[in-house]
Amino acid sequence: MSEVTQNTYWKSLNELAQNQEYKNFVEREFPENATELNDGVSRRGFLRVMGASIALAGFAACRRPVQKILPYSHQPEDIVPGIPLFYASAMPFQGSLTGLVIENHEGRPTKVEGNDLHPASHGNTNAYHQASMLEMYDPDRSRRPSRNGAKSSTADFATFASEYFADTNKRIAFISEANSSPTYNALKNSALSKFGNASWVTFEPFGEDNIIEGNRIAFGSRLRTHYNYTNADVVVSLDDDFLAATHPNNVEYAKQVTGRRKVTSTSDNMSRIYSVENGFTLTGSFADNRLRIKASEIGSFANALAGALSSRINGLNAFSSVNNSFSNNEFLTALADDLASNAGRTAVSIGLDHSAEAHAVVAAINYALGNTGSTVSYLEVPHFDNQNNMEAFADVVSGMKAGNFDAVVLIGTNPVFTAPANLDFSGALANVEEVIQLSSYSDETSKKASWHVGRSHYLESWGDGFSYGGARSVIQPQIQPLHDSLSEIEFLSTIINGAKGSGYELVQNTFNGYYRTGFNNKWKDILHDGIDITDGFNAARVRLSNSIAPASESAVSGIEVVIRPDASIYDGRFANLGWLQELPDPMTKITWDNVALMSPNTAEQLGVKNEDVVSVTINGTSIEIAAWIQPGHVDNSISLTVGYGREGIGRVADYDNEQKAGGINVYPLRSTSGMLFNSGTISASNSTYAIACVQDHHSLEGRDMYRQASLSKYRETPDFASFAYVHKYEVPGMKEAEEMDEDAPISLFDEQTYPADEPQWGMAIDLNSCFGCGVCVIACQSENNIPVIGKTEVNRGREMHWIRNDRYYVGDDTGSPQAVHQPVPCMHCELAPCEQVCPVAATTHSDDGMNQMTYNRCIGTRYCANNCPFKVRRFNFFNYPKEYLTTGEDPDIIQMAMNPEVTVRFRGVMEKCTYCVQRVNRAKINTKIETGSPKPADGTVKTACQQACPADAIYFGDLTDNNSVVSQMKHNERNYLMLEELNVRPRTSYMAKLSNPNPVLVKETNQEPAH
Amino acid sequence: MDTPKTVTEQQPELYGILAEFRNPKELVDASKVVVEAGFDKFDTFSPFPIHGIDKAMNLQKSKLGWIVLGHGLLGFSGALAMITFMSVMDYPLNISGKPFFNIPAWVPVTFELTVLLSAFGAVFGMFFLNGLPKLHNPLFNVERFKKATDDGFFVCIEAADSKFQADQVKQLLEEAGASHIEEVYD
Amino acid sequence: MSKYEYIPEPALVKGNHDFASITKLVTDVNLRPTPKLWYLYMLIANALLGVFLVAVGYLIWEGTGIWGLMNPVGWGWAIINFVWWVGIGHAGTLISAILFLFRQDWRTAINRFAEAMTIFAVICALMFPGIHVGRIWVIYWVFPIPNQMYMWPNFNSPLLWDVFAVSTYFTVSLLFWYVGLVPDLATLRDKATDKIRKFAYGIFSLGWTGSNRHWWNYEKAYMILAGLATPLVLSVHTIVSFDFAVSMIPGWHTTIFPPYFVAGAVFSGFAMVLTLMLITRKVYGMEEIMTNDHMEKMNIIILVTGSMVGFAYMMEFFIAWYSGVEYEKAIFLLRATGPYAWAYWIMMLCNVISPQVFWSKKLRTSVGFTFFISIVVNIGMWFERFVITVTSLANDYLPSSWDYFSPTIWDVLTYVGTFGIFFTLFLAFLRFLPMIAIAEIKAVLPQADPHNYDEVTKEYVPPVVEVPKPKTERV
Repeated sequence: MSEVTQNTYWKSLNELAQNQEYKNFVEREFPENATELNDGVSRRGFLRVMGASIALAGFAACRRPVQKILPYSHQPEDIVPGIPLFYASAMPFQGSLTGLVIENHEGRPTKVEGNDLHPASHGNTNAYHQASMLEMYDPDRSRRPSRNGAKSSTADFATFASEYFADTNKRIAFISEANSSPTYNALKNSALSKFGNASWVTFEPFGEDNIIEGNRIAFGSRLRTHYNYTNADVVVSLDDDFLAATHPNNVEYAKQVTGRRKVTSTSDNMSRIYSVENGFTLTGSFADNRLRIKASEIGSFANALAGALSSRINGLNAFSSVNNSFSNNEFLTALADDLASNAGRTAVSIGLDHSAEAHAVVAAINYALGNTGSTVSYLEVPHFDNQNNMEAFADVVSGMKAGNFDAVVLIGTNPVFTAPANLDFSGALANVEEVIQLSSYSDETSKKASWHVGRSHYLESWGDGFSYGGARSVIQPQIQPLHDSLSEIEFLSTIINGAKGSGYELVQNTFNGYYRTGFNNKWKDILHDGIDITDGFNAARVRLSNSIAPASESAVSGIEVVIRPDASIYDGRFANLGWLQELPDPMTKITWDNVALMSPNTAEQLGVKNEDVVSVTINGTSIEIAAWIQPGHVDNSISLTVGYGREGIGRVADYDNEQKAGGINVYPLRSTSGMLFNSGTISASNSTYAIACVQDHHSLEGRDMYRQASLSKYRETPDFASFAYVHKYEVPGMKEAEEMDEDAPISLFDEQTYPADEPQWGMAIDLNSCFGCGVCVIACQSENNIPVIGKTEVNRGREMHWIRNDRYYVGDDTGSPQAVHQPVPCMHCELAPCEQVCPVAATTHSDDGMNQMTYNRCIGTRYCANNCPFKVRRFNFFNYPKEYLTTGEDPDIIQMAMNPEVTVRFRGVMEKCTYCVQRVNRAKINTKIETGSPKPADGTVKTACQQACPADAIYFGDLTDNNSVVSQMKHNERNYLMLEELNVRPRTSYMAKLSNPNPVLVKETNQEPAH
Repeated sequence: MDTPKTVTEQQPELYGILAEFRNPKELVDASKVVVEAGFDKFDTFSPFPIHGIDKAMNLQKSKLGWIVLGHGLLGFSGALAMITFMSVMDYPLNISGKPFFNIPAWVPVTFELTVLLSAFGAVFGMFFLNGLPKLHNPLFNVERFKKATDDGFFVCIEAADSKFQADQVKQLLEEAGASHIEEVYD
Repeated sequence: MSKYEYIPEPALVKGNHDFASITKLVTDVNLRPTPKLWYLYMLIANALLGVFLVAVGYLIWEGTGIWGLMNPVGWGWAIINFVWWVGIGHAGTLISAILFLFRQDWRTAINRFAEAMTIFAVICALMFPGIHVGRIWVIYWVFPIPNQMYMWPNFNSPLLWDVFAVSTYFTVSLLFWYVGLVPDLATLRDKATDKIRKFAYGIFSLGWTGSNRHWWNYEKAYMILAGLATPLVLSVHTIVSFDFAVSMIPGWHTTIFPPYFVAGAVFSGFAMVLTLMLITRKVYGMEEIMTNDHMEKMNIIILVTGSMVGFAYMMEFFIAWYSGVEYEKAIFLLRATGPYAWAYWIMMLCNVISPQVFWSKKLRTSVGFTFFISIVVNIGMWFERFVITVTSLANDYLPSSWDYFSPTIWDVLTYVGTFGIFFTLFLAFLRFLPMIAIAEIKAVLPQADPHNYDEVTKEYVPPVVEVPKPKTERV
């Protein structure tokens, strides 16, 4: 078995299966099952391949990277099978890191969690972080370098590089994605110094150039705006969806903003959030006051706001003369008053993609309000290029066209797909001799490149970098690279030195440079904690430039077309991740596709309804895409999202003719002149395109499952969420119960009682914190091996998510309703209706009060699902795991993403949320070993959804412990039970939402739950 | 034709005397006569049950009712015992927080099993009392007897009867108005 | 001229039949050589049976996903068809048992035939609970038999009650039917000429001789069986209705279901009996035994049960409003006005409106019209089950889960296929077993009653109908 060496282990998994010598070996080991070996689809086959390989090459060594990495929580003498280990690492995204902790099973990463010590995470994550796990195991990831399309290897590439780049006079264009890694940027500098004729641009289709440029205009230097919402009593978002995962720092911001809205008593205060936007974003749905205006009017609004403020506070005289359509706007006036009276404790932000000038205006407003230092700081980011990258990129492209470059080196970017259409990037590539690209997938650019090199995933390679706020971390690999790939560091060093070198040493050298003494201990701590607290970015001391002026106003008169990154797959880089494709869009609840969002009025004018195909045209370029009506969207504005309509990326991303899934490529409409919005025309066609939307009905029908009130109303009537208050009468059976001093409505029979020594699990979901991002859904999917079922099945209404996020539109104003989000997992009813109807007792109650599903007893009558009032049960109509886990030429790899602690369910059985029973029981066992009682201390058990939630909206714990957070939340007056009158006694309860609207702007409709 | 083929083969053994009558009325009267003559090992045959012939033949009340009652009780108690064992004693499970000993929910199954067992009792009890299935019967040796399931009405006095004397029996039946008389051999 | 006109009970058997002629009329059907047409019909039936087998085969291979089921509609056509067939399967036992206890002699003409239909309908029904589950290969876990998990079924579950109810109902109906058959099989045994028939009928008639000592126990047994089958037949659909009524879904959780389901079952069962009877009696020339008087009596029962069902529909609405439960109110409004309104109004038209025409004597005695209505009624009853099953699930408590159910081709083929099972069995029955209870028919002929004979001559004297004197005052 000589070929089974440590380095090639993963790559060899498949080779192993075919390898004759290996077969003989296994047939000796497992004669009775020998036939199954060639059978990639059999999970048992897979497990045996694992087992056998373990026998072949030592246990720990073969999977753990050769360099020493340190466990996060406990030191392993050796890996104990079945006991997961946790290592700190960090995920790079948009040139910022988020600190993570990775759960490893037998040296195989299976789950991403946040790092409590990391400021950009505080132990939480967003959907992209969760899904990055799947990305590493994605069978469609680039497996090896290719030279002009032919299979090659990193070794060959190194040979090529050493020869080709020996000539340091080569005219090279480096086009890199944003990358905060100090090691990487050191290499960048040495590259630029080595190659005299080289130029370097950073290209991100949705980068932060405009912020930086805006700050240069306002303060004279290129700085990053970093908010601290913890100090913000008034938060203003000008089309800035900072709560959504598309924002590079959304976890930290979500944590801060929701942290200011944790109300547990009538004496607590809440921040107030204003949102001004064209579409309906998560931030907009979370805001207390929302104004719909066109994206193209945001600049004007910023001017008008500055103008209004100039009469209330000092320092904005430059704007005193501003007078536009918003100047006397009721909303704006109220907003200005509120800002002025809270000066210094407010935070105004504007969307990343809005013009630099608009950003400058907002910077001026914050400056004048005295927010600088308290809620806003301006960070000096060492690795920022000293140029406007968008312009620089355009120059490079025209340079390429002009033949001014011998080679283009693309690092992590995919400009052929993402670059503004008017630059004709792919055309420009044709005039370049060598196009060398490093990317995770063989994407649109790779197909045009002479050299494509597969990029190592952050979970399998060494790296480093800074968080958005400047916290420095090391990226620890969890596993040897699965494929013949290079990290961006190794790639760059190959080009410079002709040899890839060791990522580990490169990173270690960088950090070595930071310390004079005691490096080894420092290094251990950094790896252990996942963060280097010694120093981060410096906050600049800024002065507002005198040349500050109102932003040029560019409101589109007719129909504006707005192009944004997609909530699920961002700019397209996550397009091949089934989890994200099937994650319902937070607002529209659409899966697998992108659509043209428009307001009900606009749709009416165009005479289109949902799923009608419309053609959207900008400057003669047009695309055909399905229309979708978005209540709360501004009129005469169309919102599109990019990243869809792929070809040759992978089986998930590619447009699927059979399923009619995969969406439409919107980039062709994007141009340097209209990166965010552009005036366009739209016309209905008579064809339709099926959209898989997981929620068909958007009204609460006046029902009471979602309850909310304004903060002031809460203070008047703290029990506004109670059944008695909502319905004006007690829960049926409650009076009788009180007479018999029971705490729950009476029932016909003597209910079962629970043993006193057992914990009793319960969950409370704080609707006042939840802003609907849906990370809970992905976290649950990752933890519980929930299959991806594809568009057709979702369209049939067979989605499998154990926790879903219901979104209702509330309020009488159909034009501008309120949108509310409500996560719905299994309620774990004490008197569970699902249990009594199962003929074979496949779902029963445990001693610790959980409604349990016994998969291997289930015969699949689906009666339990029918009888569940909350409709949280999910049925395996087909053998979904087979589809999901065994497609592709190398199914074993994706099977490795599965959590070994959770059964993979077979066709014909029911499944549902288990309160993460595997985590609960591990904790119970450990506690029992330590203390003898199976009641874990509060906080030791976290469900996957709870752990991921950046808003800390989910509380879970032992209800027999009166001091546990969940018990206290359940005793809070905002706590209520969904469908309480059914007396099924849910263990999962909700805490009513509160809002804190500006009294001046209060619209009745937004306040009361519709009744 | 009247003499069954069995005779030729071996020592013919007389089973009884079979007499045919024209209609139900005659059959009823005839059976009265036979009963008065003090025969008890006799039977009458007709294509359908005849009203009032039970009195004429002075038949005892059927014991079937008791058999059915027994089975019914067995089904009832058996069902309760089974469910109690399964869901209270052997493998009690907390289902919807309901008590293990959840009598109301057991009513349907108990009822069904009671009915099922009773029905078995009724059917198989009836066959038992009638000594069916009985695929060999000397009467089948008589060709004419086929009419018994069509439109024939017969009386048969068995040789086994203590009072049986072939010629007297024939005479008796003739007086009773039999349209046809013959001996039945086994 | 009296202002009263006395209408005597119509004779149960038309034409002047005696015992022999009845025997001949009925047994000839089984004993004469098979008619060509029969093969043709059998071929068609077998083709449909093939469709069923293919549909079920594919189902077992692929999974329940081939049907239109989804969240929230976990039960679709399979359960609808199950309830529909079980409902149809109620007529037979009802006719044989309840009408027997009520001494309704007219039942004798149709009970054999209706019982056969019952048994075949229940067989079709039993297919669905079997195949609709996700893991067909472990369906036997619903029976209380020891298994590798040492687990027992859950006796709280209406589905389990169903298992016992329907299987008991099937067994008892089968026994009842067979007991009735024994004397007639004996008749066939004695009429049969060829070896195979002699042997087969001989075996199954168990050596029946027509002994009056046997008749004595036999009648007792029959009476007891009727007494047992009566509560049974009422319990079966009651328990089927528990599948819905015991759940907590709005539109299902309804106490009126048991009587309402039983009425519906009788309604559809009688309709189906009529459909089959009108064809069969024509084909086999049995009009003198299955007379138009039978047809009229059954139409009256259809009228009564149809009106009961209609009343139940109204009652549901009233209770939904009267209860004040918003979810109940919502679901019933949605049924009549929501996405499935079309199904609801088909149901109302077929089940409530159409049978009302039977108030007219002219229509309820017209053969063609009866045949038409009998089919309409069964369509209506299928839609009733559709409305109950699907609409309630599709729009229950949480609006976020609401969704629209649409069936696939496989739903349809599976349903159509069950007609293959039904007609294959039914044609075999017509061919090989007496479709009329010969012995019972003879017993209700006037010739069968000894009182209709002259005491002295012992000759048959047809009974005279005394016309009562009209009470008219003359002064």
